[in-house]
Amino acid sequence: MKSDPRVIRSLVAKDFKLKYKQSVLGFFWGLITPLVFLLIFTTVFSHAFVSIRNYALFVLTGLIFWQFFSNATNQSIQSFIRNAGIIKTINIPIHHFPLAAVVNEVAALLLSFIPFTILMLFFGLDPSWHFILLLPAVFLFALTTYGLGMALGVLNIYLRDVSILWNTIAPALFYLSPIAYDDSIVPERYLPLIKSNPLYHFFGVFRDILYANTVPSLTSWGIITGIALVAYIAGRTVLHKLDKGIISNL
Amino acid sequence: MRTPQIELRNVGVHYYTFDQGINSIKDYVMKFGFTRPFARRKVLDGVDLQVLPGEVLGILGRNGTGKSSLLRCVAGILRSYTGTVEVRGSIAPMLAIGSGIEMELTGIENIKLICSLMGTGGADIERTIDGIIAFSELSREDLQRQVKTYSTGMISRLSFSIAIAKVPDILLIDEVLAVGDAGFQRKCLDRITAIKESGCTILFVSHGADDVRRICTRAICLDQGRIVFDGEVEPAIQRYEQLFV
Repeated sequence: MKSDPRVIRSLVAKDFKLKYKQSVLGFFWGLITPLVFLLIFTTVFSHAFVSIRNYALFVLTGLIFWQFFSNATNQSIQSFIRNAGIIKTINIPIHHFPLAAVVNEVAALLLSFIPFTILMLFFGLDPSWHFILLLPAVFLFALTTYGLGMALGVLNIYLRDVSILWNTIAPALFYLSPIAYDDSIVPERYLPLIKSNPLYHFFGVFRDILYANTVPSLTSWGIITGIALVAYIAGRTVLHKLDKGIISNL
Repeated sequence: MRTPQIELRNVGVHYYTFDQGINSIKDYVMKFGFTRPFARRKVLDGVDLQVLPGEVLGILGRNGTGKSSLLRCVAGILRSYTGTVEVRGSIAPMLAIGSGIEMELTGIENIKLICSLMGTGGADIERTIDGIIAFSELSREDLQRQVKTYSTGMISRLSFSIAIAKVPDILLIDEVLAVGDAGFQRKCLDRITAIKESGCTILFVSHGADDVRRICTRAICLDQGRIVFDGEVEPAIQRYEQLFV
């Protein structure tokens, strides 16, 4: 199935409009959630994790990307059911729907960088040329999210518990990911478990760039590229295997 | 001999739906091994159909005999499990009441959205939109309101106006004339007749025998996913009415 950029653009614009329809704060809600978590974590954990230098910046550089991941998976899982009317009427390649949802969230993420950069500067962020590396890193992260959201979204058409289940798994994943803590507090024997979480490697790369102010190693890039490709191929495979029953179960 | 614009050969469509009330993973686990979780229901069964350019084909049949699925197959929305579907030419989206309309958006936002999803408009999108607004007879104030505040008749005006904005090669109409007041129904029929006279191929699903008589050049009757009659309009309507005896 061919992709049509014009159709994707219209779907993204629609999602953006719908997301904040009838809400007063609109886009700013996307900033409030991470800020609340930042407040909680800095008050609760900054004394527990004294080993982490500049804890506020550390947490924020994780929370921003978690916010994206959480929203983008939810939106892409719901994208098919939300667009059931269009899917049943107009012949549009079905993968456009989760793709539009993820693109929409990437736009929200990039927009949120404006206020968050100001906040991060306040916390002692050191601007540097290699911030540009965020672009490929965000791209790979978005590709992973797209693959995952597409697979879960298609399964959710058949069994609506998938989205409910995801609402339970996502918070668990949040605490399994090194957002509020780093490797140093994880006991040696649990490290393999922590590292088996694909998100671990993405947060590592984001932290390297924004927090540690270093260029992520080639190994890190290799790992996240691999994760992104696997997620994307898995998503397309699930979609392809199950697409014939989509209309009848929507 | 003209080449057919639409050609369906031995088309079969199945719906896989959850049977036995299985709608959650718990049910699935509990009942697994005792019943098959997916029930396969035949919606279209060995359908052979050829439609020539310029023909207006009426599609009759009870509710749930596969009329909408047939249109969806032609539109490429639904893929068939068996057989082949060949369509030559551009298709307007399947026209059903409120099809693809987003309730939270305003009327004008819906017009722009659906036009761009369908690929209508392009360079002269503004003129297309003006045409749609004029045809729908909805006021500028109505169009600025969210569609969820519309009446059913207003929604059908909106979706009909969008779908027939540009004359496609093939127009698929699914029971849209039932709503809307007498004036708008007549206007729709006039518009469909004009589209027909321009040489467009039309598939027309309707339960209104008079509407079928008025615009169709040929009709088929579907029963349980099979074509049970294909030919002249009048005998097709008789065959359709026999289904209810």
